[in-house]
Amino acid sequence: MAAVRETVKTVGEVEKYKYGFTTDIESDKAPLGLTEETVRFISAKKSEPGWLLEWRLAAFRRWLTMEEPKWAKVSYPPIDFQDAYYYAAPKQSVKLNSLDEVDPKLLETYKKLGIPLTEQKMLAGVAVDAVFDSVSVVTTFKEKLREVGVIFCPMSEAVRDHPELVQKYLGSVVPTSDNFYATLNSAVFSEGSFVYIPEGVRCPMELSTYFRINEKQTGQFERTLIIAEKGSYVSYLEGCTAPQRDENQLHAAVVELVTLDDAEIKYSTVQNWYPGDEDGKGGIYNFVTKRGDCRGANSKISWTQVETGSAITWKYPSCILRGDNSRGEFYSIAISNGRQQVDSGTKMIHLGRNTSSRIVSKGISAGRSSNTYRGLVSVHRKAENVRNFTQCDSLLIGDRCSAHTVPYIETKNPSAVLEHEATTSKISDDQMFYCRQRGIGEEEAVALIVNGFCRDVLQQLPMEFAVEAQKLVGISLEGSVG
Amino acid sequence: MNDKAVQIFAETYDRERAVLPGADGWLARRRDAALKSFVEAGLPHRRLEEWKYTDLKQALEKAAFVPAPAHEGAVVLPDMAAASAFAAIDRHVVVFVNGRHRSDLSKAVRLPKGVELHSLTDVLHEQWVKELVERRFDDARQSENVVDLNTALMRDGAALRIRKGVCLDKPLHLLFLAADGGASHTRNLILLEEGAEATIFESHIGVATTFADIVTDIALGDEARLSHVKLQHEGAGAVHLATLRARLAAKSRLSSFALTLGCGVSRTQNFILFAGEGAEAHVNGAYALKAEQHADQFCVIDHAVPGCTSHSLFKGVLDGASVGVFQGKVIVRPHAQKTDGRQMTHALLLSRDAAMNAKPELEIYADDVQCAHGSTIGELSRDAIFFLRSRGIPEVEARQLLVSAFLDEALDLVPHETACEALRLLVAGWFADGEGRA
Repeated sequence: MAAVRETVKTVGEVEKYKYGFTTDIESDKAPLGLTEETVRFISAKKSEPGWLLEWRLAAFRRWLTMEEPKWAKVSYPPIDFQDAYYYAAPKQSVKLNSLDEVDPKLLETYKKLGIPLTEQKMLAGVAVDAVFDSVSVVTTFKEKLREVGVIFCPMSEAVRDHPELVQKYLGSVVPTSDNFYATLNSAVFSEGSFVYIPEGVRCPMELSTYFRINEKQTGQFERTLIIAEKGSYVSYLEGCTAPQRDENQLHAAVVELVTLDDAEIKYSTVQNWYPGDEDGKGGIYNFVTKRGDCRGANSKISWTQVETGSAITWKYPSCILRGDNSRGEFYSIAISNGRQQVDSGTKMIHLGRNTSSRIVSKGISAGRSSNTYRGLVSVHRKAENVRNFTQCDSLLIGDRCSAHTVPYIETKNPSAVLEHEATTSKISDDQMFYCRQRGIGEEEAVALIVNGFCRDVLQQLPMEFAVEAQKLVGISLEGSVG
Repeated sequence: MNDKAVQIFAETYDRERAVLPGADGWLARRRDAALKSFVEAGLPHRRLEEWKYTDLKQALEKAAFVPAPAHEGAVVLPDMAAASAFAAIDRHVVVFVNGRHRSDLSKAVRLPKGVELHSLTDVLHEQWVKELVERRFDDARQSENVVDLNTALMRDGAALRIRKGVCLDKPLHLLFLAADGGASHTRNLILLEEGAEATIFESHIGVATTFADIVTDIALGDEARLSHVKLQHEGAGAVHLATLRARLAAKSRLSSFALTLGCGVSRTQNFILFAGEGAEAHVNGAYALKAEQHADQFCVIDHAVPGCTSHSLFKGVLDGASVGVFQGKVIVRPHAQKTDGRQMTHALLLSRDAAMNAKPELEIYADDVQCAHGSTIGELSRDAIFFLRSRGIPEVEARQLLVSAFLDEALDLVPHETACEALRLLVAGWFADGEGRA
């Protein structure tokens, strides 16, 4: 018996969420709660120009009049917006010039996370902007990017060095009045990445941001803005983790993408915020507004997301297809286990002629989780020859989880051809039997089959992330069978 | 509570509660409660998710419907094919004019033993009637709220009860005629006991500016079978709000089909609840709209028990500046394993100003199920038109051929062969009436 107990104990100790550590770093926080003072504090901390402070304050005042949206198929206790810190920064007194000067503890954290911050990672060829709580810690490869004219820097730096670009594009895709969480973000956003690709440039490497929430009782509100000028191309990746805590933390980010004529942005996300424990205690509330605006003709925006973390995920990366012949794509894998709740999907808003969109969504729910696809395809009166194809497949593992599909399809133009199809099923016994018969363990077999189920989406990810994502799929489903 | 229409309904109730049927029994209390909850909720508007695409409030406020007067004497049938669509079929006919039963126009004689067919007002004291009227379906609260309006103001309707194992010898035709403008609130109750079988036609015909509020409550016992064919061809100024609620016991089968051709604004709601294993529901429909017509098909199928099958297919053609809506939801409750749920909706846009909104939903809480839904929206294939024209078929005819082929897939599902032919003819008439000029 003792041996059995011991085994149980060991199994219990196996860390399922390997990013659940915290880093003990002194940090500099805004006072608890949210008032106009907090907004001013954040703005002052960042030494922002007056127009940005005004912009934030306008958003804050608007936010006060707004009501929290309740329509999503997720449930959670009311959020006390006054019981959180809206700004937390690792304390550092002097400006840093090179990596060696960064707090070694911080670098240790990133090492644990496996971010390619140091020279050895040059082989990977990934330029990283790492955001730790609310401030950007370091941006690698900046020099190399500058040679081709690409601007890749923290938002605060962009506000300082390129105010005309920020002022022109900030809030032009997601206006400050957009929705409850986007408005909150506009008031208190503290950091994020800014990317500008000049005309005709094909960004020589993948750009990537790493987000981490470290401090407890903080929310993270980053704001990312990517502008692709005429004929340019960029592939951008973001990854997220957070420590394991038994409280819920709010992450309300805004991402804005703008593509001009013939430009293309490929935006990939691997979201692995802490999902809470088996009983649904703790975890991140991931309420994010992501939107791309295909402003120019022949432009393209492609969203790829692998959503495995967060207690609650609530986001709809969207494309406004304004330019003629523009194209929007959305590829998603959403895996929910334990008591996670996911309500995610996309919006494809067709305004221009000959615009096309493609949606492939794969939802996998296990444990006692709930997984909803909610999407809109809308065709405006003047959008001729629109083409859309939507495919939503759901896979259920176990009989206590749920999967829902809520598509909205609206068209005002007869020349549009819109197709939507969805299926829901479980892992077939035959497939399982086939794998088991060849000596593959049950969990491994499930991971294998699920990976096959997600293949269409995994193929869209940049190479090095695809490998990681495949592993993540396996890890996320641990404990879901048997 | 300043809605004009709500106020008119409330005033009507105050004025008529003493004379509405059942004023002295359980129903009076039920009506009071229903009116109260209707007034509290108000008329549905587009801010409610289930009414996202249809604004009943707006549709009714334009007209502000007071009850239609009782109609005496002969009724002049409007000169339209729909009025006599089922005439060739040997059937029992029960006629309602302006929402009131007219025995002088009806013809339902020599019913088989075990078939009880009455006017609703005659059977209000019976327990099964009470049970059906008081039943609530909780899956779609916002859509059910309008049933309260019906409960408060219902005046008449057909009550059909078929005893165990009895089969209705020929189809029963419920013919609703709107002779004058105004509102009518009708409640039909259908109870098929174990193993009973019946075919019911329901047609709504009129040219006046009317508000037809119909609720049809159905309960099927074990292994009962019901075929239901509905035809709606009311006037261009009319508002039609029809709710069909059915509870299916084990191994029972419901096949329903609704053809929507008329009305300015119509909303057809179906709520199907599976209460016994092995039951089957086929809920299908077709609509052909033109001018400013607006038709909303709303369908909720609740798989509350394992092993049931539901298939639905809705197809529509939209011409002129018409708007089509499909909102469907298949719910599979926890433990409702081995469910087979299929839901398809297809629409053809024939003109530049037509619009279509579709929202087919799946809500699934069990893993061993097969559920799928599909939705397509598009225009006629130019290649197909070219193909036909290159073989000497004029464009108008080519378009008609393709459109009727498109609708045929749905019409094939009408659960009565002769009725199916009758509906096909009506659709053909719809073309002759103007499609193809685009």
